[in-house]
Amino acid sequence: MILLFAGLFVLGVYTVVYSFDLFDRSLTALPISDFSDGLQDFVTRVENGNLSAITIVTLVLLAILGLIWFIAELRPSTPRRVRMGNGTYLTRGVVEEEVSAVAEQVPDVLGSSVGVRARRSPGARVDLEARVRRGEDLETIRSGLRTRVQEHLSGRGVPVSKLNVKLVEADPRQTTTRVQ
Amino acid sequence: MADGIQLARAASVAALATEGVHSMGRGRYVEAATYEGSEKVSGVVVGAEDLEIHIVADYPLPRPIPEIAENIRERIAPQAGGRRTRVVVEDLEVAEDERL
Repeated sequence: MILLFAGLFVLGVYTVVYSFDLFDRSLTALPISDFSDGLQDFVTRVENGNLSAITIVTLVLLAILGLIWFIAELRPSTPRRVRMGNGTYLTRGVVEEEVSAVAEQVPDVLGSSVGVRARRSPGARVDLEARVRRGEDLETIRSGLRTRVQEHLSGRGVPVSKLNVKLVEADPRQTTTRVQ
Repeated sequence: MADGIQLARAASVAALATEGVHSMGRGRYVEAATYEGSEKVSGVVVGAEDLEIHIVADYPLPRPIPEIAENIRERIAPQAGGRRTRVVVEDLEVAEDERL
């Protein structure tokens, strides 16, 4: 960002110098005649409707891209805090701690990492990745873990709109969080 | 009805007196505080129409978070002057023996 501002500042200085013909510098002396001629020619061809198919496709794609960008900018940004409803909010860290704590109480879970995304509606989207031993029954563990986390959060009054549980098989000797 | 720093002080006292509140939060991205003169009350932001109370909750939670928040709101309601009160749980303070 600092580099961007520095660049804009330098560009501004050059613009002023060349615009007001200061220090024997003039806009006409800049080697941009080829570029301006090319641009003029392009605009004339656009006005006359004399464009190649590739140019038309490129322009249409650029217009669509601009429209998508515009719509994306109009969308409100994702909130930083998890809304519980009725004017109560939790930071994502609090939800992460809660989920992580309960996940690691499950005997089959060797360690976990949690990602929480706040939504505009009440509740959070929780992505829980739990590390388990190789050869375990993953479906049973996933189902038990999901139920445990949901019950725990529900008991704490923390709304979860979506809970994704991903199990990763790991060597207990390599799990840094905990070895059971 | 209290105003400004008085309301912030009252909100802070009310929040800290609530079971399940460990301390006042400080704001995570922007400092949450109310200033007046040389005084500063951390964890409370008093607006014209709303009141934001940032707390750090005890862990394990003695009660569900909505109950804690509701309790804080009830305590501060007489002084809030109709302001919409938002409670933000910023962090959890884990009891010492929890991680042993």
